[in-house]
This record gives sequence, C-alpha cells and structure tokens, in this order.
Amino acid sequence: MAKAIRLILLVAVLAALLLLPRFVSSYKLLTYTTVLCLALMAQGWNFIGGYTGYAAFGNVAFFGIGAYTTGLLMLSKWHLSFFPAVFAGALLSAFVATLIGLPVLRLKGHYFAIATLGVAEAFREIAGSWDSVTEGATGIDLPVRSDNTFFYYTALGFVVVGVFVTFLLERSKIGYGWVAIREDQDAARMLGINTTIFKVAAFALSAIFASLAGGIIAYQNIHVAPNDFFKIEYTLQMIIACIIGGTGTVWGPLLGAAVYQLLSTYIWSHFLELHPTVLGAIIIFFIVFLPRGLMQLFGRLGLVARGRRRVGWDILLANVRASRLE
Amino acid sequence: MKRSATLLALALWTLAGFALAADTIVFGAAISITGKTAKEGEYTRDGYQFAIDKINEMGGIKVGGKTYKVALKYYDDETKPERTAQLIEKLINEDKVNLILGPYGSSPTGTAAPICERYKIPMVEANGSAESIFSKGYKYTFMILSPAKLYLRGVIDAIRGKDPSVKTVAILGENESFSKEVAGGAADYAKEKGLDLVYDELYPTNAQDVSALLTAIKGKNPHIILGSGHLQDSLLIVKQSKDLGVSPRAMGFSVGPSSPEFRANLGKSADYIFGATQWTEALRYNGDDPWKTPKAFGDAFRGKHPNYKSIPYQVAESAVAVIAYQKAIEKAGSLDPTKVRDALAAIDLMTYYGKVKFDARGVNIYKPMAVEQYQPDGNKYTVWPADVAEKAALYPMPPWDKR
Amino acid sequence: MTGAELGQIAVNALLLSGILALVALGFSLVWGIMNIVNLSHGAFIVLGAYLTFWMHALWKIDPFVSIPVSMIVLFGLGYLIQRSLINQVIRAPLLATFLLTFGLEILIVNLINYFFKADTRSVQTAYSGTGFALGPVRVPYIRLGALLVSVLLVLVLGAFLNRSRLGRAIRATGMDIDAARLSGVKVAAIYALTYAIGASLAGAAGSLLSMVVPFDPNLGGPYTERAFVICVLGGLGNVVNVLIGAAVYSVVEVFVGSRLPALSQAVTFGILVLLLIVRPQGIAGKSFS
Repeated sequence: MAKAIRLILLVAVLAALLLLPRFVSSYKLLTYTTVLCLALMAQGWNFIGGYTGYAAFGNVAFFGIGAYTTGLLMLSKWHLSFFPAVFAGALLSAFVATLIGLPVLRLKGHYFAIATLGVAEAFREIAGSWDSVTEGATGIDLPVRSDNTFFYYTALGFVVVGVFVTFLLERSKIGYGWVAIREDQDAARMLGINTTIFKVAAFALSAIFASLAGGIIAYQNIHVAPNDFFKIEYTLQMIIACIIGGTGTVWGPLLGAAVYQLLSTYIWSHFLELHPTVLGAIIIFFIVFLPRGLMQLFGRLGLVARGRRRVGWDILLANVRASRLE
Repeated sequence: MKRSATLLALALWTLAGFALAADTIVFGAAISITGKTAKEGEYTRDGYQFAIDKINEMGGIKVGGKTYKVALKYYDDETKPERTAQLIEKLINEDKVNLILGPYGSSPTGTAAPICERYKIPMVEANGSAESIFSKGYKYTFMILSPAKLYLRGVIDAIRGKDPSVKTVAILGENESFSKEVAGGAADYAKEKGLDLVYDELYPTNAQDVSALLTAIKGKNPHIILGSGHLQDSLLIVKQSKDLGVSPRAMGFSVGPSSPEFRANLGKSADYIFGATQWTEALRYNGDDPWKTPKAFGDAFRGKHPNYKSIPYQVAESAVAVIAYQKAIEKAGSLDPTKVRDALAAIDLMTYYGKVKFDARGVNIYKPMAVEQYQPDGNKYTVWPADVAEKAALYPMPPWDKR
Repeated sequence: MTGAELGQIAVNALLLSGILALVALGFSLVWGIMNIVNLSHGAFIVLGAYLTFWMHALWKIDPFVSIPVSMIVLFGLGYLIQRSLINQVIRAPLLATFLLTFGLEILIVNLINYFFKADTRSVQTAYSGTGFALGPVRVPYIRLGALLVSVLLVLVLGAFLNRSRLGRAIRATGMDIDAARLSGVKVAAIYALTYAIGASLAGAAGSLLSMVVPFDPNLGGPYTERAFVICVLGGLGNVVNVLIGAAVYSVVEVFVGSRLPALSQAVTFGILVLLLIVRPQGIAGKSFS
C-alpha cells in the first residue's frame, strides 16, 4: 500500500516537473534549472560525502572545469554542440578527480576537506591566470541560446538519471563498500575491500555530476569567469543541500536542494539585506537539530500517518542529546 | 469612516500606479550598492536618477506624439557579477522593464551584455570600459565611456609634459578584465613613448596586501608607478607605498583619485597623485542636452546633493547614458527595443560629457580622457589636456618621509 | 634581485609572521584541544578589526590601547558561542562542527555587513606610515608594533598553558577528555574557555590588522585559510609550532607574492597538499587528529 502510494506520488511529481515550463515564466524557469543543477551537484557530492563519508570541500573545481571545458569546446574551431562538449567536460573532470583523488584521498577528516578546498582555490587561480586558454579574468562567452526550456529539460534529464544511478549503486557492492568505508575503513580494508578504488570511484562520480551541472549553468549564463564558476558558494550549497535533505540517501539531495532553493528565494525576496545571515542561521539550525536531514523526519511520517506517533519534535532534541558534549 | 478612507486611498494609489505604469518608460539596472565597488555603484545610481529626475521635470520623453515619464528600477548586485546576470534576467523577464542601463564595472557589464543580447533588449552602459565585452559581436550593448586602454595614457602624457627625462615605469594591476586592459594599454603606450617598463604584474582582485609587489617595485626604483584597479586598490597601494617607503617621482591611478573617498581616506597622502578621469567640470564642452556645459551639470548636481564638492565622473557618465537613451527613443519614435537599438547605433551627439557616438562594435572612441591631480591646498585640479587644465601639474612627488 | 630587495622581503616576512602567528594561534588552540577546525575564526578577526575601528573613530582611542578591549569582548562572545552552540554538536561526526562554524561565519560576517556596510575602512593614526630605515630597508612602526604585541601574546599564552592550573586543565582535556572528566575537570566549561581564548586572540589579530590593511567585512576568510595552512605546516601541539609554521609560511607568501602574485594561492595550496601527503604532522609537531 505504502509502496503504491509512493510510486503514484513519484509519477505525479515527475509529470508536474515535465509540464512545468508551460506554466511558469521564462525567468522562473531559469530558477528551476538552477535548483535542478544544485540537485545534480548534491547528488554527486552525496557519493563521496554521504555514502563514503569523505567530506570533500572542493567540488566546485569540477563544476568550473565542466563549465570551461563545455564552453571552450563549443567555441573552438570544431564548434562542438552542447552535448558532446558537456560529456567531454564530464570525462575530463572524472580524469582530474582520479588524478587528484589518488593522493588526496589518503588524508582524513579535516585534512581531506581543506586539501580539496585548496584544490578548488588553485583551479580558480589557474583559470584566472591562464590567459592563453581561458582568457584569464576576462572570461569567455558561450554561444547565445534563447530557449530556456532546453536548459531545464537537460538538467531534469540528468537529475532523473542521477536518481537511477544513486538507487542502483546504493544497493550494489559498490554502495555497501562505500558505507563500509564510512563506518570503519580499517575493518573494510581487512575484509578485502580495495578502499582506494572505491574512494576514487566515489570522488570521480561526484566530479562527473558537478561537471555536468557546470556545463548547463555555463550555457545558461553565457558568460563564464573564474571567480563566478570556482567560487566556494557552490560547494557549500551542494553540501548544505545534502545536509538539509539527508546524506547517504537517494532522495536526500533532491529534497535538500529544493528546500534550500525555496528558502533561499523566499529569504531573498523578503529579507534581501539579511539574506546570507538567515541562511547561516538555517545551516546552524540543521546542523544542531537535524544533522541527518529531513529524510530522518520522513522516516517517521509513515508512523505519524498511522497514528502511532505524534509529530516528533523529540527527534530534534534527541539529535542534540546524541551529539552534545556531556 | 476610517475604512472607507483607506479604501479610497488604496483606490487612488492603484489608479496612480496604473497611470504610472501605463505611461512610464522603465529603465532597469543592477548596480553594486554594496560590496567592493559600493561607492562607485552609488555614483552610478545617483547619476541615473539625477538625469531621470531632470527629464521628468522637463516633461518626459516624447515617443511618437505621446509623452512618457521615466523611472528607474534597480537592484543591488553586491559587486557580484554573476548576481548582475541574474538580476538583469529578472528585470527583463519578470519586471518587464523597457530598457537596460549598465552596472558599475566591466566584469558585471560582461555578464549582463550576453543576457541583453539573448533577449534583444538594448543596454547603454556607462561604467564598463573593457573592450573585450565588445569583441563578441554583441549588437545590443553600447559603451558611453572611453575604452580602458586609454585611461592611463593621459597620466603618462601629463608626467612627460613636466619632465621629458622620465624613463622607467612600473605598472601594477588588478587581475580583472577592465584593469588588465588599462594596464595593457598603459604598457603599450609607455613603450611607444620610449619608456622602460621595469615592472608589470597583476594582483588578485581581492588582494588585501600588495607589500610583496611593492617591495619588488621598490627594488627597481622606477620614476613612475601606475596603478590599475579600483578605488579600494588605489587606497591600498598608496598606504602600503608609504609604509614601505616607496617614493617614485610620480604616481598615477586609473580609478580612485576622482572619488572624494580618495582624499577622505588618505588625507595628505593623496597629494601629488594623478588620477585618470573620464570627465571633469573643467572641461569645455557645449552640448545638446539639459545642462550643456560641464560646469552647469556640476552645479545642478551639487544643488541636489550638497555634500559633493567635486563630481565623480561616474555620475556624469551615468547621467549621459540616460540622455543618450532619450535622444535615441525620440529619434526612433518608438519603444520597440530593436528600433531603439538602431537609433542608438546611429547616434552622434555632443553633450556636457563629451561626444557620444559609437563605432561599429558599440564603443565610444570619440571622447578623450583627462587627468586630475590632488594638490597640497586640499583641492583636486584638472591638469591634462593642457588646453583645459585648471592648474599646472605639480611634479615631482616629495618622498613620503619628507612631508 | 638586489640585496636591498632581499632585505626588504626578509623584513616584510618577519613582520608578517608576527601577525600571522597571532592569527593562527587561536585557531591552533581550538583545533588542537577540541579537534574543531573553526571556520568562524575569520569572523572574530573581522569583529576585532571593527571594534578597534569604531573605538578609534568614535572616541579617539588609540588602536593599540583598544586591543585589550577587543580581546575581552571577543572572549565573552566566544565563550557564549561555544557553551550554547558548539558544545551541542561536539560528539557528532566531524563535518558537523566544520559546517556549524561555517554557518556561524556566514551569519556573523553578514550581520557585520548589514550594520556597518561594505565600505572599506582603515585605522589611520598620526603615526600611520611612519617607520625607520635600516640601511636600504624600511621598517614601518605599526607593523613592528604588531609584531611585538603578537610575540607578547604568544608568550603569555604559552606561559598560561604550561604554568597555570587552568592551562594544564585545558591541555589535559585536549589529551584525553574522559580522563580529564574523571579527574574532576568541568569539560564543558574548559571547552568554552578554550574557544573563548581562541576568539580573543583572533580579535587581537583583527585589531592589529585594522591598522595595517584596509578592510571590509570580508577580511577574515583568507586569514582563516592561512591559519589552517600554518597549523598544518607547523603541526599542532604547542605554541612554538605555530611560530615555526607562521615563519615558514610568511617567507613563502612574501616570496611568491613578489614573483607570482596571481598564483599565490595555487602555490600555497600546492605546498600544503604536498606537505599533507608527505608529512601530515607538520614540520615540527604531532597532530591531535
């Protein structure tokens, strides 16, 4: 019964998303595309940060690589069309992620996080100084495309594929391997799991997703410049989306991206000047009270519907009790 | 009683709103009201608003027999170029403005131009002088101000005018589209004039410490130091030069000195420093616009904003952007964006700001730059070109520790 | 490169290392004792800078004199934050404190932006820009003063940690929290105290920076990054390591800054990543991770 309801809900949501462009303005469509790209990035981050437990803080590097590669290939003498260009970008990002991942994934915790952050910053600087290739700080302009529906459907398509990929991987050996690494890497190693390959795979996968998002946003935005496409805000958004939704789950990243964007847009139109402040407060709230994200609440909804439990504010307090200093 | 009064007020207000909406041309803009270039953004907005108010005072813009009021709708892009693009999309798509006025700075203008191209809405921009924006073949963007590479040429000329024996130049620039072009233009011009370029480096946009570069420059002991960045950068360079005892014979900046903030922040350290400027009140133009001469514009602006002693050029050039639009709309006789665009492309106008005319790319190559200098009596004077100079330039700059 | 330039670079590096040591000191303490990488460190630096700025602008208080005031204010703020907020997530996975402090940074910096606006500020005194010459090399007085203050605070902190009862309690808690608790140490208060000290040192650094560089609400971020690199370079564990890390880092930054300014971060982080892989405990120390 519950499964059937869930399936119907899913189909309904998908149908609504497919029909969306008919009902909203061109500008709103851009916002939706941005949410979908955020969801895409969050899905990717989920592999390395959620399932595998390695908090990468530099995935915007792949977003930027994807953006620049897509753009440069489209502007090059071969005049590639969008899809070959964006897939080439994804491949390049996966390659770079593997190269960087091999040494950097040997680090743990904070060190890994900051190392990846450093990588992203380094790429930003390189993009800003490599004038002969990237035009440096001036940036590049992709060919102008006017139909915003193209970006929307492309992003939607990628996100749907992402859901399938996450779903399948979660239940596969790879997914179990990732979780094993997250929970106890030494035990996993002792059980014969090649932790290096698994970690690099997760990292490369996260790079591919970020890169695809970068390509779409680049095309949508037309202008690509280092400070815009390598900024840390993107990394933070994808991480926050995962946190709000729930890391290590299939729907968490999407839920989180949607909620984050909703909150962000609402705050932007009502508290324009305090927009980032309120966002900071929201981050703090979730970290303290709902570190496992909204998916943790959803697990309860079934029970609530059947009258077995009242809406559990106690979950919030329980989370705090579990993690506070005694 | 109270209720019906409120209802009446609401009704009248709505009617007025309708009336306004129906017969108003709305210009949209995304300007940096906060962030790194907040001050310059303020000047831009004030310039736009000043011209719009004047036009409304004079009756409005005539479009084919009907007169329209003019209004400005703007958002703060927080000096974030990607934000600018987003806001321009919003203005065009959601707020449905008629025409776009440019942001402050070449980077945001660079992100806004393709958006305007996508929707075929013209943008007249008065504060983004990087020519790179105009190398992509965009047809809907027009640049009122003189291009970046000209900025420091006048400074070099002014200095050489005082001392033909200067030989060595050091350039440091912000790694950003406009400043790069300024630095590049200065470097080319210096070499053209037979000067030795002993140092030519870029620093990151949000650099807060350039003492390492200044140390290297100090080692080369150049006669002239030229800085290409924005207001904040010029303040930083002057302060740290003083700290490190870097005293060239002359120092000049592309952006910064023309802003009242420069002296407010630096006090006596601002003396003797040259600044490039798109426009000053000392210039002698006589234009086909509401104010006609630079002095009249300055006086009028001071009338509305009494706390300004001298008028930053960003104000003047922003105001003239609106005037350019007025002329184009009236010539086109229509608010159709493409017709306005065509009228702008063909415009040939003399104004209090100088000549407004665009080449095939949309760049105004018909107006020269000027140079200002702060002098110890506390004022800033136009010192170049020589025929409009208010006072002679002072040279050389006394070393920091001897003031 | 001439001898004079080399000399000036050396002096610049020395003076910079003083301030950076102070910046990194509080960061290192919080990380070493509580295993928290405090991303809101930068926000405290900015607060210190603004406190000094306003005290100078409104009441003409000399910036050096304002340092104790800014330290006290930030001590209180830090204590509050740790006690009420960060202590709630101490036992959560690593990412939690990381992101929490990040959220805090966004919150604080943007409140500052809201109240004080984004205009560039700096503290200009009668003695700004003055200095003395050591041959061809110039030593600005303010930077020298900043170096002296930093060294003083470093020494004071070192003495506190090694000689005083509270200091030893802090170190004990850092080494083994359960043992400390069993010995009667009030761990929650100690944590709050540690964080408060870290914040107050950041405040002092901010006060010094307000005299040295023009700043706006975004001053802090790059300094947090530098603090991290310095801690990794020197290794966590004791105060001397911070000095070593700061010295090495300053030399690198000043040198790279004069040769390759556009790539300074790339080079710095390249070195950092290399170091993390080859020698994660830093040049001198042992890590508490």
